[in-house]
Amino acid sequence: MHSVNNDQVSAALWLILGLGIIIASIPYGLGTLASPGTGFLPFLAGLAISLFSSIGIVHATLKQRQGARWKSTMKGLMWKKSLIVMAALLAYVFLLKPLGFSLCTALFVGCLLRTVQPQKWPVVIAGAIGAAIASFGIFEIWLQAQLPKGPWGF
Amino acid sequence: MDFVGSMLMGFQVALQPGNLVFCFAGVLIGTLVGVLPGLGPVAAISLLLPTTFHATPVSGIIMLAGIYYGAMYGGSTTSILVNIPGEAASVVTCLDGYKMARQGRAGPALGIAAFGSFIAGTLGVVGLMLVAPPLAEMALKFGPPEYFSLMILGLTILTFLASGPMWKALLMAAFGLFLGCIGIDTLTGSLRFTLDIVELSDGIGLVPVVMGLFGISEVLLNVEQSTERSVFETKIKDLLPNLRDWADSIWPILRGTVIGFFLGVLPGGGAVISSFVSYAVEKKISKHPEKFGTGMIQGVAGPEAANNAATGGAFIPLLTLGIPANAVMAILLGAMMIHGMQPGPMLMKEHPDLFWGAVTSMYLGNVMLLILNLPLIGLWVKILKVPYPILFPLILLFCLIGAYSLNNSIVEVLIMVIFGLIGYFFKKYEYEGAPLVLALVLGPMLETALRRSLLLSAGDPTIFLTRPISAVLILSSFCLLVFPLVPWIGKKRAVLPKAEAED
Repeated sequence: MHSVNNDQVSAALWLILGLGIIIASIPYGLGTLASPGTGFLPFLAGLAISLFSSIGIVHATLKQRQGARWKSTMKGLMWKKSLIVMAALLAYVFLLKPLGFSLCTALFVGCLLRTVQPQKWPVVIAGAIGAAIASFGIFEIWLQAQLPKGPWGF
Repeated sequence: MDFVGSMLMGFQVALQPGNLVFCFAGVLIGTLVGVLPGLGPVAAISLLLPTTFHATPVSGIIMLAGIYYGAMYGGSTTSILVNIPGEAASVVTCLDGYKMARQGRAGPALGIAAFGSFIAGTLGVVGLMLVAPPLAEMALKFGPPEYFSLMILGLTILTFLASGPMWKALLMAAFGLFLGCIGIDTLTGSLRFTLDIVELSDGIGLVPVVMGLFGISEVLLNVEQSTERSVFETKIKDLLPNLRDWADSIWPILRGTVIGFFLGVLPGGGAVISSFVSYAVEKKISKHPEKFGTGMIQGVAGPEAANNAATGGAFIPLLTLGIPANAVMAILLGAMMIHGMQPGPMLMKEHPDLFWGAVTSMYLGNVMLLILNLPLIGLWVKILKVPYPILFPLILLFCLIGAYSLNNSIVEVLIMVIFGLIGYFFKKYEYEGAPLVLALVLGPMLETALRRSLLLSAGDPTIFLTRPISAVLILSSFCLLVFPLVPWIGKKRAVLPKAEAED
């Protein structure tokens, strides 16, 4: 990874995406200029992404010749914490319906309070239960949002 | 209806008790959002959008607008007391505001920020009232080619003003256009790129995308940094600036108002840019530019006035042309559409109560903010002391509930989480989210305008150059795209992000 720089890598990924969009747009039908089809604008967008990412690759390559090298975007950071947050968010998405809003919310808040920058257990328990009750009160009772209920009815 | 009559009708609407409550709630929440670092007006408006569904459209828009200009007020508090901007438009206030606080002048800094914001916010609303009606009249002459060219200009301005290389901003705009294509093709009714997911047939929702890109990603970035924020321990006294402070600040406030208003009107301009421009102007014309950054009250007054005036200006393209000037306006556009209204030149004629009610509520909101901001500074300082590790799970929870309650859909929550991750990497690799959001909102309108124009001209693309208004707009876009290639202008353009990075 030391021979290329960040912009070269990201622009190359964009180029792949742009080409993918171009290819995927064609089956929708491009139509003609007098009567553009469903795939017309996505095709143009894909073309634009490919064009700008190509410019990016050239720009980044010129910068590389001036000494721009790969810079780690994770160095010196506690990236595992963002990984935990991401995992908790995904778990919330998939457990919200099976567990119901209140339990899922309490587990979510409690887990984050305990793991990311560990708080004392009383803070974790109070925070988890408090957040679940308060958000249920605000959103379900006051604002009448229909939040998912678990097998236990809340 | 004449101007005075319209204003009276506006006040009649805005002064209804229900609307006053919504206005108050909006400015209060906005100030809180502005105070809290890591939660900007974009995320807050997205979060609270579903709560307005039960209200009338006028009340909903009044509250959402209140959050926007309230956040501009609140942002200065954290900049001055903690040296962390509550939101992006207050970045530049840190430079002199925090230094003033260190010198024991936190009170006058907070005071002039509040008064400057009030004066600029009020003048901005006056400007909005004066400029919007004739512009809306003119916009009635716009056909599909003019709308297409105007939207292209908006996107170009935003990419021109974005920090970092222009190719990145253009790339984001193109990606936003593609995302805007997902769902039903409005002209033919066929589905595109939905991956057989029913929820995607209406397209990718703006709110989950914005909450992911600006809310979730911000939290992900914040938790991996071990920044301890400490509120500057000082007794906040003398909130009312003295005569000397006023003499030093009044012209920067007025200049900031003009700069903010006009940059706010430009699609793609806005509060952040205008605060930087105002600071640069004040420094340039000052007899003591070397003292800027050491606690000059002008460095607080000008930018704070500019970012508040910009909020008034930003409503003009939205309310008169239906074109959002920035990400916040894009969400407001979405909110209006959800409430069954189409912002644009006909809004003033079809829903004068909404237009004038919302505009006059901004007057009232500015007064509320002035009354609120000064006595509540102590409360905001207490809130600032809540540790981030306790705050961030709640921010995430609000995002999750907000995304879910839009359509009671888990898919929307998943979209938000995915865009949170995408936004995280965008920020790591220095890609700005704003052009993407604007393009996502404009995408469907732009596509319709483009295809109708081509149908109108029997496939002749020169239609965009043969109609005078369209030609001027397209040529302006072209100039903006070509300008960065001119080395001198390229250098000038690089100054802004560099200054931001240094801060």
